[in-house]
Amino acid sequence: MPEVKVTTRRRTSAKRESKPSVDTTRIAVVGIPASGKTTYFRFLSGHFGLNLPILYIPARAENGSLPLYGDLENDVALEETTYETTDPTDPEGSLETTTRYYVNRPMEDRRKLWVELSAGRDEQGILTKYPLPTKFNQFVEMKMRFRYAAPSGEAGSRPMELQTVDEAGGIIADYFTYDRLWLDSADGEVTEKTCRVIPHFDSWRPDRRDLWKRGLTLLGRFVCGADAIILLLSPGLPSLRDQAQQVNLARGVFRYTHARNLPLVIAVSKADKLKEFYSEVEQSVRERTFRSTFDPVDFLLRRDGAGMGTILIAQEGRGISAKEDVFLISSAVSTGEGHPLFIGESGDEAPTSGTVTMGVPVMVNTTLPLARACERILERRSTKEK
Amino acid sequence: MQNPVEDSTAAPGRERNVLLLDLSKSMLAPLPDPQGGGPDRQKIEVARTAVFRILQDAATTGTLFGLVTFTETVRVPVPLGEIHRENLPYIENLISLLTPSGRSALWDALGVGADLLRMGTNGVQGNLVLVTDGWDNASQRFDVKPEPNGKVADGKVDLVPYMLPGHSRLGVRIIGIGSGDERDKGVDVGRMNQVVGQLNQRAMELGLPAAFSFQLVTTGTQLFAQMVNAFLDVGYEDDRPIEELHPEELARHAGNAARALKEPQQHATVARIKNAQVAGRSPSNDSYSEAPEIEVDFLASGPGGPPAYLRERYGPLGEVIEAYLSGDNERALDLIQKTQGFLPSVTRLYWEARIQFARRAVVEAARALLQAWGEAEKLPPATQAPILRRLAILQARMQNDKETETLVRFIDETEHHLSNGSPKTRERLMDLFAKLMELRGTYQLTRLAGEGDLQDAAVKHEAAVEEVFGLLQDARLDLATEGASVEGALDFIEICLAEMR
Repeated sequence: MPEVKVTTRRRTSAKRESKPSVDTTRIAVVGIPASGKTTYFRFLSGHFGLNLPILYIPARAENGSLPLYGDLENDVALEETTYETTDPTDPEGSLETTTRYYVNRPMEDRRKLWVELSAGRDEQGILTKYPLPTKFNQFVEMKMRFRYAAPSGEAGSRPMELQTVDEAGGIIADYFTYDRLWLDSADGEVTEKTCRVIPHFDSWRPDRRDLWKRGLTLLGRFVCGADAIILLLSPGLPSLRDQAQQVNLARGVFRYTHARNLPLVIAVSKADKLKEFYSEVEQSVRERTFRSTFDPVDFLLRRDGAGMGTILIAQEGRGISAKEDVFLISSAVSTGEGHPLFIGESGDEAPTSGTVTMGVPVMVNTTLPLARACERILERRSTKEK
Repeated sequence: MQNPVEDSTAAPGRERNVLLLDLSKSMLAPLPDPQGGGPDRQKIEVARTAVFRILQDAATTGTLFGLVTFTETVRVPVPLGEIHRENLPYIENLISLLTPSGRSALWDALGVGADLLRMGTNGVQGNLVLVTDGWDNASQRFDVKPEPNGKVADGKVDLVPYMLPGHSRLGVRIIGIGSGDERDKGVDVGRMNQVVGQLNQRAMELGLPAAFSFQLVTTGTQLFAQMVNAFLDVGYEDDRPIEELHPEELARHAGNAARALKEPQQHATVARIKNAQVAGRSPSNDSYSEAPEIEVDFLASGPGGPPAYLRERYGPLGEVIEAYLSGDNERALDLIQKTQGFLPSVTRLYWEARIQFARRAVVEAARALLQAWGEAEKLPPATQAPILRRLAILQARMQNDKETETLVRFIDETEHHLSNGSPKTRERLMDLFAKLMELRGTYQLTRLAGEGDLQDAAVKHEAAVEEVFGLLQDARLDLATEGASVEGALDFIEICLAEMR
């Protein structure tokens, strides 16, 4: 991981290179734009390919091991399919899809790994055929395959698939904000009429409206088929509009999972933006012997760490436990020399010191929400079987 | 202005009003001003005010309106039809150009007015308002009997049965200007009452509902008092219309407004805006009140300066506001103090507070505003709601409480924007605002609850938010095509809801 193969399909469905198992358990990851969906998928797939180290705060008693493994039966760790509308001025234009596969193969030049993982949108190789803001003319379906509960695909482990629609935080937010209107089956189709609930929808360009409708349908279908949901929340959003969008999404996800009795796990991503948490991360990276006893629950609920205190308290015991199902996570590239991540609401990079370093990925708690989601799915299944 | 397409034989759906305005030369004569504050006004000036007001009412309420002017000749400058707000400046301009001359063909004018309201077999349907300062001396087609059993002049048509054929539903209100002491002879009160008597008798004979009246006004002030029972407010210099706000600014405003809901101790003024008043329930749902209904209007002041025709439209109150907007606060104060006795108390006290605040006389401003709150409490609920909001905005400004000001202003402007739209849409949005205000209660409980009760309080608050959010979702879907004002209001509520966490 990750070597990138790019294939392009035009209006036809080519043979899949990945091999999803029929009994794959699916977990949907949802979050508003810039909530960290891409990073979450890219870093985790890197972990499953190369077993990148993960830092846990607070420290885990059992040496941090979790029963999450790369799917060695499957060559493809991460599959990204870009759905892109063609130039709207083209009378025969339609939706194009491009699929990109990330495979589990260590790369010779390790620096490429870091570059790939931390690449900005421009460097990700997603081409835009005409000048439109990226998320207005495309979205990316992401699927990451892994196994839970036993290593190396041995009997007893289960194939799992993590899914999201990337570049579509707006679609996701709309889907859950106005959740009463969309799909109730995995083969449903979102109609143009219900899309009108989205603010200003009627004033959009036709191609954007069409893309949004397709995105809602795609999302609705995989959410309908999901066995659990991971909700990514981003703290310290500078824009009030984004904050409102996030709260509305969270409320919608609570409604949705509660109504369907679906396991829900919350990951507060980019937690390094929360200063108290960042200082714990920084100390853990600097001093290998430091064992953090940071209390995320107290921080989130009582010190308003992500601005969601009241809502989380209200949901306590109604589908989630703040203690067991809410995690602070962070995935970024360190500049080295004890400056692990980025800090500050403005996203200022921590200053580099000393010699120029290559940069290493630092993942804090990244696997915890995933492991918890898997655990809850299995608990739920065993309860049903009884 | 557009002519309505209505079946001339069908019963009318909307209110239909025709104003008959005397433009004879005598209308140039002055009317005394007993307050002694300003120069006497010409009758035509006062009459123009009446026309401006009625036009504006028509544009606001959607009633059909027509204007007939008369000298020896009867003209119809504004045919009966719907008045669109965007056409008002043209019509007002036209009215400002009306110049009196010649004599009065009063009966012919009433005949033409009745023709405008005629609806085939349904007779004459609507209301005629005649503003005159004299008696007929030029009619060629119509006449009225000099006495109940008398006869009209040869070759002329008897006006009363012409105006009141069978099945009619006609109201006639005659406003006579001047007592007859002026240079011209003025209105002949006795004979005018006789005409009204004939109309009443005719209605009785036909079994028709009678709504005929004659009122004599002898001073400009009296006429203004009759025409301008209003609460008028204008925007502040630094106001920015909601529709001009960038989405992120709108979000910031909503975030500010939410703070006013979340921190009641620091924003006590919000408590004065009761929920039912935000919703602006119709008077039929509220207790009966004998108090006269005050007309409430808000004029957003744009960068182009004060709105035109303030004085013509609102008489003495318009004059006060003109002085205030031009920065002449001393004159504005002097003028507002002279309006005691004919402007509604709440209007006078509010403007006194506003002017005093502009003069930086904070104590006087606070005292006047306190009295205005007291007067507002006495008003009927329908008019009380918008007036309380304007008082709250001033109070918030005086206390430098930006959060309350933003919240109340947004509610107020939304209602104002929607005043010409569908009443159902307006009511729905104002109900949503009311529900938003109610969330103050459950939110406060989450702040006050002890450790053990915190989850209960949080659950209740979240349930309340969810309920409002459900209503918001329905409104989003149902009102998707209602335009930018509605979407802006829904965005505002949605962001406020998100902030109430």
